[in-house]
Amino acid sequence: MSVAVHELPGIRRVEQIMGLPVVVDVRDDDEAGPALDQLFDWLRWVDATFSTFKEDSEISRINRGDLRRKDAHSDVRQVLDRCDRLRDETDGYFDMRTPNGSIDPAGLVKGWAVDRAAAILDGSGLHNYAVSAGGDMRVLGRAIPDLAWRVGIQHPLDRQQVAAVVETTDLAIATSGAYARGDHVWNPHSGRAPSGILSVTIVGRELGTADPYATAAFAMGPERAPHWTARLVGHEAMTILADETVFKTGGFPDE
Amino acid sequence: MRKSITVLLTVAALALPIADATAATRATTKKIVVSKRFTGSVTSVDRWGDLQVTIVVRKTTTITGTKKRVTRKITAVSVPTYPNHTDRSIYINQTALPILKAEALRAQSANINMVSGATDSSDAFAQSLQSAILKAKHA
Repeated sequence: MSVAVHELPGIRRVEQIMGLPVVVDVRDDDEAGPALDQLFDWLRWVDATFSTFKEDSEISRINRGDLRRKDAHSDVRQVLDRCDRLRDETDGYFDMRTPNGSIDPAGLVKGWAVDRAAAILDGSGLHNYAVSAGGDMRVLGRAIPDLAWRVGIQHPLDRQQVAAVVETTDLAIATSGAYARGDHVWNPHSGRAPSGILSVTIVGRELGTADPYATAAFAMGPERAPHWTARLVGHEAMTILADETVFKTGGFPDE
Repeated sequence: MRKSITVLLTVAALALPIADATAATRATTKKIVVSKRFTGSVTSVDRWGDLQVTIVVRKTTTITGTKKRVTRKITAVSVPTYPNHTDRSIYINQTALPILKAEALRAQSANINMVSGATDSSDAFAQSLQSAILKAKHA
């Protein structure tokens, strides 16, 4: 370690929510306990409302025909409307419709919920934090007073290493890939998992956009992803192909 | 035309014991890697201004005995000059030109606070993460 940290400022908490480890790391010296309670309550509510694994969630009720979309909670309607727009923005590569005809907005929910979680911390007067859900995160401020947040982008072939380091004081960072838990992203046009591509990392202002964009770009595969991401306004991207070529957009903020 | 040339010469001999008397007669593999930057001519884009493209080509020559194999690969594309005489053309070009840097994947170990990676839902990962955070807290 180049910086000796004897005792980190702030508070850290990890919980398994939405099937993912959620890490909240607050580096402000202020009392953050109540804000963290509120934040994790919010994420548990999101899980109960949006999970397709919970029979009584609003999404499960919509899929069973027990709840009409227009009668759903305003947050549910907002998320589903945004999913529809994301399908247009990504040429159909982000699609909440599953092959069996039901809907699963999980590809947006995680990032959207993290943005709202960050807003809870903002509202509590906290200015130095990272909120990560399964490796996709929103960071703000500094890890310690002299040091911005340093976020490693995991090396897709060697998980003990990183392929790039992004140093930032205000950014959402999302990485989509197939290496961690098998093929869980498929190309909605072909119905198959993309091949020839290892991961796509997108950085931007909101995780609720960066994360679905990363999912969509990964689904596009090795030919389309680098070019599609190069055209995104307000976002930068890094795409790692199976032949170990790395494509970065001109302004990708790694060192 | 601007050219910058880097030459990397690696000789990878087959792993053989030095005492092996037949070593001298075995074929060795010699690999020559040359990366060259090529800058295209300045092209006028109608009345909007000039455009210029630079590419880096990596040429790999592999010689095994008397056999020689050459492969070429574009490893980087950049657009050093593009029409930008008005705010609007800057905007259009930032959004329309696919400006990409290509490089080889490499591993770094670095002093970092967080890791972004593909989703891993295993409890083992969560536990490892939690223990790492606790260690960091008491480091």
